[in-house]
Amino acid sequence: MHGAISWIREEVEERVNVLYLMGVWRLSNLSAISDALKSRVLQASERFVLDGSRLQELDTSTGFTLYRHLGGIGCSEAMVSLRAFDSRHERLLALVRERMRCPPAAARSVHAGPVQRIGAAALHVWRLLQIHVAFIGGVALEMLSLLRNPKLFRRKETLSQFEVICVDAIPIIGLVTFLIGVVFAYLLGLQAQRYGANIFVVDGVGLAVCRELAPLLVAVIVAGRSGAAFTAQIGTMKVQDEIDAISTLGLSPIQVLVIPRLAAMVIALPLLVFVGDLAGIAGGMVIAAWQLDISAATFLDRLQSVLPMSAAVVGLAKAPVFAVFIAMIACRMGMLVARDARSVGVNTTSTVVQSIVWVILLDALFAVVFERLGI
Amino acid sequence: MLDVDSVVTRFGSDLIHDRVSFAVGRGEVVALIGASGTGKSVLVREIVGLLRPTGGTVRLLGSDVWRCSQEEMQALRRRFGMLFQDGALFSSLTVAENIAVPFRENTALPLEMIPPLVGFKLSLVGLEPDAGAKMPAQLSGGMRKRVALARALALEPEILFLDEPTSGLDPISARAFDELVRILSDSLGLTVFIVTHDLDTLHSIIGRVIVLARGKVIADGPVDAVMKMEDPWIEEYFSARASIA
Repeated sequence: MHGAISWIREEVEERVNVLYLMGVWRLSNLSAISDALKSRVLQASERFVLDGSRLQELDTSTGFTLYRHLGGIGCSEAMVSLRAFDSRHERLLALVRERMRCPPAAARSVHAGPVQRIGAAALHVWRLLQIHVAFIGGVALEMLSLLRNPKLFRRKETLSQFEVICVDAIPIIGLVTFLIGVVFAYLLGLQAQRYGANIFVVDGVGLAVCRELAPLLVAVIVAGRSGAAFTAQIGTMKVQDEIDAISTLGLSPIQVLVIPRLAAMVIALPLLVFVGDLAGIAGGMVIAAWQLDISAATFLDRLQSVLPMSAAVVGLAKAPVFAVFIAMIACRMGMLVARDARSVGVNTTSTVVQSIVWVILLDALFAVVFERLGI
Repeated sequence: MLDVDSVVTRFGSDLIHDRVSFAVGRGEVVALIGASGTGKSVLVREIVGLLRPTGGTVRLLGSDVWRCSQEEMQALRRRFGMLFQDGALFSSLTVAENIAVPFRENTALPLEMIPPLVGFKLSLVGLEPDAGAKMPAQLSGGMRKRVALARALALEPEILFLDEPTSGLDPISARAFDELVRILSDSLGLTVFIVTHDLDTLHSIIGRVIVLARGKVIADGPVDAVMKMEDPWIEEYFSARASIA
């Protein structure tokens, strides 16, 4: 055998099986020791004597493995006696014997098959919808009580949330919508140049940015930024029992946490969409001047005569609807956070995904509705 | 086993430890006590390599914790076990998976050998093997600490650090935990270093107590001797028992 380190030697002395344990019986050598035990064909005889005179070290994992192996070949405790062990090792083996139980600990979790996972996911979505409807009801009730008693409204919280949602987001909203305006104008410009219809880029950019691009993009960014933040904040508060503390103080968590965020987002989102409109159009202007030789003055002139008021209004009108959905989803997912480390992350991701999906669904819905209404 | 030499800890302008020194020998069961805020947990973190002290040396199992190489430190980490105050179990893993982590990450054991060992460690700390399938959030405080102890003992450490192990436990569970520590320490020859507030722990299983106050070690010796010292804080501490008249 490789290494020729012997861990165990069996001898028969006066018709008694003596097992000499040899060497360093520690966890680091457990595999080798276990193999050595298995490779020795030990017969379950009447009595075993374990001899520890050649044993240098012993720990609980090797002691346990030894007893388990002996038990496995049918040797009961009563048939095993110890001799020549260090007193420490004797105490250790006594502890191992006392504390040994048979069944090994639970195996690893089973992975579900694809059909099971689809089924579980479908059920999960259904339950989520039910919870959201219940939550919407709760918030509606709180808003009714707010109408009856406006003093309940928490102005400071709302203003503080507004600052974070709106003011801090202006740079990134501005940047992203500017860049989208640039890209879109460039694409349109490529086409328009072919037909010598450069000036129509203005129409296109104005319409697209104000009606669709700015509202959608702003909603997605706010969902990722503030929606995720709400879920993480409220979720961490839930784990630390802060929400329970709010309830026990006689306050409503919805009034304290949800309504300020909802109100702040409903006010902030249209404002941010407006910023997006300006930035997107500015981006278009830059490309128009650079690629299509349309000066800023020409651009603005054309825009003023061509862009219908309805385009801007439609875009701004979508914003509060998006805001309500994003805020409600974010707050509810926050309240659903469980007490483990993964949960905050999972719920935050879910908030962002749900918000984006709903925003796009709503956008499509709006497109159909406005088309019917001829707006 | 452990040699703390002139450790200084400063957070900004706050001087937490002012040249704290003491030593712990093999097989001792030592307690570190002190008022809340005297930096006991900070000191333990400095000993196990989690927080760097501003000055001084910590020698643990023969290595200088703060001047040794990464490999030395890794090898050192396998030789001691740490029990954090609320167990610090991995909340996304089951109990069995929690205890299996040291085996899986730090040993080359074949995977099929791990579940029986995990089951044994659970029994060692007095839990039923079926506790293995539970999640940490489903456990009581006492059970969580036992699981954390099982995890700390997984790699057969030579020294065990316990940070307020009986805090938050009911008196019965607290005494049971003390008893468990004593049995393991006696049978396995473990050196135990306990940060504690629990007077009952001090009077039952502790051999030697180190008192930390005002940034210094003001007492270091057997519990009986320290109790008799003439220091206002020590006197107040050891007599701070509500009497049920």
